[in-house]
Amino acid sequence: MILRHLLLGSTVAISALAVLAQPAAAAPWKRGFVVREYGFAFHYGGRSEAAETDPAADCARGSSVHFADETEMRKALEKQHWRSKQEIDYIVKPPEIDKARLPTYVRFYVWGRAASYRGWRKGIETYVNPFAAPDPGQPEVTGRIGDGLNLDGKIKTSDFTSPDGEKGIDNALYRAWGCDAPFRNPASGTLDLRENTQMQEGLYTVVIRISGNQDPMNDSDATVEIGYSPDKIVRDARANVASDYSYRIVKSEQYTKLKAKIVNGVVETEQVDELHVPRIGWFPDQMGDADFHKGKLRLKMAADGEAAAGVVGGYRNWLDLLSENTFAQTGAEQGIRDHEDAVSLYYALKRNADGMPDPKTGRNMGISMAYRIKAVPAHVVDPAKPAQVRRPAEDEKRRKGFEMVKAAMLKAVSTRIVQDVPLGTGEGQFPAMERTIADLPSKDFFLKTLDAPGKLDENGKVIMPAPKAEPQRQVSNGTPTTVASAGDDDQ
Amino acid sequence: MKLHRRTLLRGLFQGSAAVVGVPFLDCFLDSHGQVLAATGQRLPTRFSTFFYGLGLTTQLWVPKKAGLDYETTGQLKPLEPFKKKMNVFSGMRVMVDDNPNFQHWSGNAAIVTGISPTKASQFDSKTIDQTIADVISHGSRFKTVAAAASGDPKHCYSSLGGANTLPAEPTPLSLYTRLFGPGFQDPSKADWKPDPQVMLQQSVLSAVADERKDFMKNLGTTDRDRMDQYFTSVREAEVQIAAELQRPTVVAKVAIPSAPDDMVVNYALPNVRKVTPLMAKLGALAMATDQTRVFNLAISEPGSNIYVPGDPLGYHITTHMEAIDPTLGYQPRVAKYNVYSMELLASTLQEMDALPEGDGTLLDHSLVMAYSDQSYAKIHAVDGIPIMLAGNANGRMKTGYHIAGGGAPVSRVGLTVQKIMGLGVDGWGKGSMETKSAYTELLA
Amino acid sequence: MRKRVILAVAAFLACATSGAPAWAAASGQVVGLRRLSEREYRNSIADIFGKDIAVQGMFEPQVRMGGLVATSTGVLSVTPVGFDSFSKMADSIAVQVTSQKFRDKLVSCKPQSAKEFDEACAQGFFSRYGLLLFRRPLADSELKARVNLARTMTKSTGDFYAGLRYGLAEMLQSPNFLFRKEVAMPAGGKILTLEPYSRASRLSYLMWDTTPDSALLQAAASGDLNTAAGLEKQVTRLMASPRLDDGMRAFFTDMLELDTFDTVSKDPLIYPKWGGPMAASAKEETLRSTIDLALHQNGDMRDLMTTRKTFINRSLAAIYDVDFTFDSEWMPYEFPADSGRSGIVTQVSMLSMFSHPGQSSPTKRGVALMDIFLCEPTPTPPANVDFSAINDTHGPLKTVRERLLAHATTPTCASCHTHSDPIGLTLEGFDTIGQRRLTENGQLIDLSATIKGKSFKDGVGLGQFLHNDPKYPACLARKLYAYGTGANSEDVETATFKTGYKSFVDSGYRMRALIKGLVESPEFFNTAAPQQDASEAPPTKLALH
Repeated sequence: MILRHLLLGSTVAISALAVLAQPAAAAPWKRGFVVREYGFAFHYGGRSEAAETDPAADCARGSSVHFADETEMRKALEKQHWRSKQEIDYIVKPPEIDKARLPTYVRFYVWGRAASYRGWRKGIETYVNPFAAPDPGQPEVTGRIGDGLNLDGKIKTSDFTSPDGEKGIDNALYRAWGCDAPFRNPASGTLDLRENTQMQEGLYTVVIRISGNQDPMNDSDATVEIGYSPDKIVRDARANVASDYSYRIVKSEQYTKLKAKIVNGVVETEQVDELHVPRIGWFPDQMGDADFHKGKLRLKMAADGEAAAGVVGGYRNWLDLLSENTFAQTGAEQGIRDHEDAVSLYYALKRNADGMPDPKTGRNMGISMAYRIKAVPAHVVDPAKPAQVRRPAEDEKRRKGFEMVKAAMLKAVSTRIVQDVPLGTGEGQFPAMERTIADLPSKDFFLKTLDAPGKLDENGKVIMPAPKAEPQRQVSNGTPTTVASAGDDDQ
Repeated sequence: MKLHRRTLLRGLFQGSAAVVGVPFLDCFLDSHGQVLAATGQRLPTRFSTFFYGLGLTTQLWVPKKAGLDYETTGQLKPLEPFKKKMNVFSGMRVMVDDNPNFQHWSGNAAIVTGISPTKASQFDSKTIDQTIADVISHGSRFKTVAAAASGDPKHCYSSLGGANTLPAEPTPLSLYTRLFGPGFQDPSKADWKPDPQVMLQQSVLSAVADERKDFMKNLGTTDRDRMDQYFTSVREAEVQIAAELQRPTVVAKVAIPSAPDDMVVNYALPNVRKVTPLMAKLGALAMATDQTRVFNLAISEPGSNIYVPGDPLGYHITTHMEAIDPTLGYQPRVAKYNVYSMELLASTLQEMDALPEGDGTLLDHSLVMAYSDQSYAKIHAVDGIPIMLAGNANGRMKTGYHIAGGGAPVSRVGLTVQKIMGLGVDGWGKGSMETKSAYTELLA
Repeated sequence: MRKRVILAVAAFLACATSGAPAWAAASGQVVGLRRLSEREYRNSIADIFGKDIAVQGMFEPQVRMGGLVATSTGVLSVTPVGFDSFSKMADSIAVQVTSQKFRDKLVSCKPQSAKEFDEACAQGFFSRYGLLLFRRPLADSELKARVNLARTMTKSTGDFYAGLRYGLAEMLQSPNFLFRKEVAMPAGGKILTLEPYSRASRLSYLMWDTTPDSALLQAAASGDLNTAAGLEKQVTRLMASPRLDDGMRAFFTDMLELDTFDTVSKDPLIYPKWGGPMAASAKEETLRSTIDLALHQNGDMRDLMTTRKTFINRSLAAIYDVDFTFDSEWMPYEFPADSGRSGIVTQVSMLSMFSHPGQSSPTKRGVALMDIFLCEPTPTPPANVDFSAINDTHGPLKTVRERLLAHATTPTCASCHTHSDPIGLTLEGFDTIGQRRLTENGQLIDLSATIKGKSFKDGVGLGQFLHNDPKYPACLARKLYAYGTGANSEDVETATFKTGYKSFVDSGYRMRALIKGLVESPEFFNTAAPQQDASEAPPTKLALH
């Protein structure tokens, strides 16, 4: 094991004892890694046995509890002054729900529809138009310890201190979202777990290759490459990511090559204007480029080459972050299921944005953040033939839906003009709610009272808008596009 | 209450006359509430074997007291819930006479044949479960069924003699499919009818059987014996098919579960722990619904390769490599493995005892013979191989005893078993293990 | 009524149904009765009925005798459970063959009415498949029996194709199909020689691992196979075909004991890398590299011990810890000179099959390699051996090697262990799943060994030692002979394969020369007349037509 990664390709015959005794001579070397854990670098301040929601050093008020129970749901709905008390009561506790075949789904989708419309007036879908809802409030991180990198070279009072004692850590995203229930405590946060599980089960593969000409533990002129691999992660007999497998690295838009210095096994890259890496995600529509402005990567390699851990950080456009998280499915799905509120997250991002100022308005369009990385050894190879990252056809449908809703939200936020929910995408729990409450005796109340992004015809099908005069990018022959509804997937 | 006798039905199949015997059953209990078969006889006693490798740690397993009310020793503790339904045998001997002591073979072969084997991995006669099945299995769908919780179909110690052993079902799913997959007919369904396809298959089998004379021409003696086995197998199939044309005589108050998941079946102890009771349960259900009356379950081969994950040596190597602890006087890791085997046996008995049948449980109506290949595995000793008999055998076996064999041949246990099962034998075994002496204190 | 009959079959079908005793060899001496193995069964069905016919069922386990599973086919029978499975498979195959989907292709005639029995069509059907399934023509009585069965079944069901189905199912579970009957006739003096159809089967199952094709059956019918020229013609044809790969794969799978993988498990806690596709990959690597050397490169078979060339896939690349190129599923790879790898003995298959779940075993590896490649099986250890005193991992002897060598001091142990351990000790540079390692328990591993005065070290030294040992090619020849004839390799007389072996050596140890030499030598199809019971009738002479 000790010898393995000191020798490249064709080995040199040295007696093992000699190698153990002396440091390795300068020679070209490379080490490859496949990422086994990839997620937000959110430091957790509680004890591992504690419940996710408990207050602790990182979140003094505990994790977010949006929509967690009837009390919380009621609180969210009471903010809409245009709702009658009866409407709120009925939403919170749909009458005769036991008569429906699937009462849990009924409640889920009714709550989801209601949560999608929390504007200052009736009729505004607020996941697409978060600016049109008052800030519901998001518990923010109150602790001072945080993971990440010092991106601006300054030590500000608002910065975090790393667990190793490094000051000036810029991770404003952590402050904004670190108490968000599904991401709190990487060991058990539901979305954090989910994204890592999905990655390990083959949704995507991230590989890293580090090379140099001096010594892997100390090299003043090393190179770091990070990007997607088209090859699925291989798991071993204990369901961990297996070591020593070969993976191709492809020069897709998520590929980056950086210069780095290595001191005692700690690899620190240059800081670059645009650092492209794969995004975290748990659905195919989230896959793509995470573009870190003023990005850099720091990774610590174990001396025997058996593991590597670190962070990649920079400033990311916070609207990208918001849409990637909110519209993984529909805004309400994660909200109701994982006790998260994308509207609160919008305001939290706006509040904490600390980089990438818009040249026209001067407002910060970016927020400092980092992904954490844990990796195991792999043979990272260049493909002999051109290779593409996997993009199954079904994923394309889903991605189109995602892009449509994201585009609507971006337009809404930048123009502050209320945008319609693009139909056929499932956003707003439409037509999922209508379908689910079909056998609820009190369904007419909800069909009449609750807003909906569109209408259904007599067969229960979504009435798609007539195609516009100007050509839309997705439409090729005039027929409206039906895309996979994000709500079609399991929760 | 009188039960109707069997009546003959004319099976009509496209006009051809097929005559099929179908027993009529109005009810199933006699005035004592005992479950009866159509012919007025008691429910058959079922026979099971449970094989596990690598024996015991004598000073921790063997009770000091013999007879009834013996103390529960450390290694017998897992079986304590069944103590009253069991007999344990210590100090039984295998006499190899002129044959070598084939390690991991002579012991277990002798226990199931009464004969010291002349070749390794071969039986010098039919094994005891086959002998018993010859008598009790008439009318059940399968003569015998075998399963291996280690996942290897070769781990089966049921044989018609020689090197051939019955293939064991290696996974719960394959066992389930064999028992409850295609071909299963739920005996409790009132509208049960014989399958017309089955009658056609009978003709095919009959034609195969007819080939015997021609095929056997000009064969040497050994080949003739082999083809005898083949044609015996054909005959078994004919009998089995004839049974399928008769309504099963047992009605069990059990529900057939859905098929088990595909799962990893290998030597890792957690997997063996998962698979063993599952296979035992399926075997119990099979016996309760008369798919078979003889069920063989092995959890390993004689040199058991079971291992606890993290232990690079596993059971077998540990028995040879572990040093005897000077203070304890035994091999502590081996002792742990011994106990795992007892636990696995307990889990098997548990499954049988959890199946209600008539006035008791399946275990009450069964006889289970559990045995191993060695006693002190480190040196491949065959003196003192642990043997256990469990179940009430429909009241034909007295239980609660520790029999201290004092050097008696293991064949005495086999003879006792056959008497309990109602076989008309007065002697068993060969050479120094030939015996006419059963343990009469166990015979009810 | 249309009749479409395959041309090649028609020629001797006419002969077979002409009334003359179609298979007069039925009165010869049965010198072999070999149960079809799973692969032979499947391949035969695929070649007779086509690959679209699904074969699903359980096959009884086989047993290794004299190092070969093929030998057990001549010793084992069929248990009730095994027969049950054959019976069900027979019916399933027959159902498919006569189904709407396949009957146009596989039933070469059409009945006048599908609801009524058509004697001529049935006769043609059973004649044709009888020949193919029983690997020799049916006797009149045999044909009549099947036709009659089909007639009865057609009447019972009102469906001609059902009649064909039940008749075909009967043949598929007949011992004539399931067992290869090898019949021999007197050939002068005390020698018996296999009659032509038995020769055809033996050749076909050895060369292509399947049932004789129509050309081979034709050569049997005409008696050509019992002439030297005719035999050579067929041998040349069979060996020129790419299907020779299949036959030799089957042979090497058996000789190299690759079925051991069915029961290999590795401890996931210590060796999590092992799992899933590893076993199948390791098996395929060994077969690919062996066949490549033996048949495609036509190389010196001794190089099997020393070559650094192999084929690996992505999974194996992880164990060998090398870059995989992803050009295709399998890539040719040559280990560097200092990798310590040498031929087949350091491939993952050999290293992992004969090893424990959690650690390597020099003894197991040594015993296996000696048995497989040198035909020197090791006797089983004595019953009452106590290993613990010299196998204490916490004692002063840190490595397995040190502890094993302590055996050498005990006379009862030394006789066998000095025989088998040295081989295994040189391979201690590889762990139980075949990964390279240099230290054990923090101590450098000593890879040196001495066998019969020759000293060498590590896998490379071992490879060279085996390359130079004449026992290895002799063992290969012996095992190929035993595999082809069904004999027990331990009981085979050297004289029986001497001719083939000489061709092998003279050719520079080329596998093709060995196969050809063995098969064309008289000893391959001849056997001494066995002891006769006084009650048995003496065999009659073969009547060829």
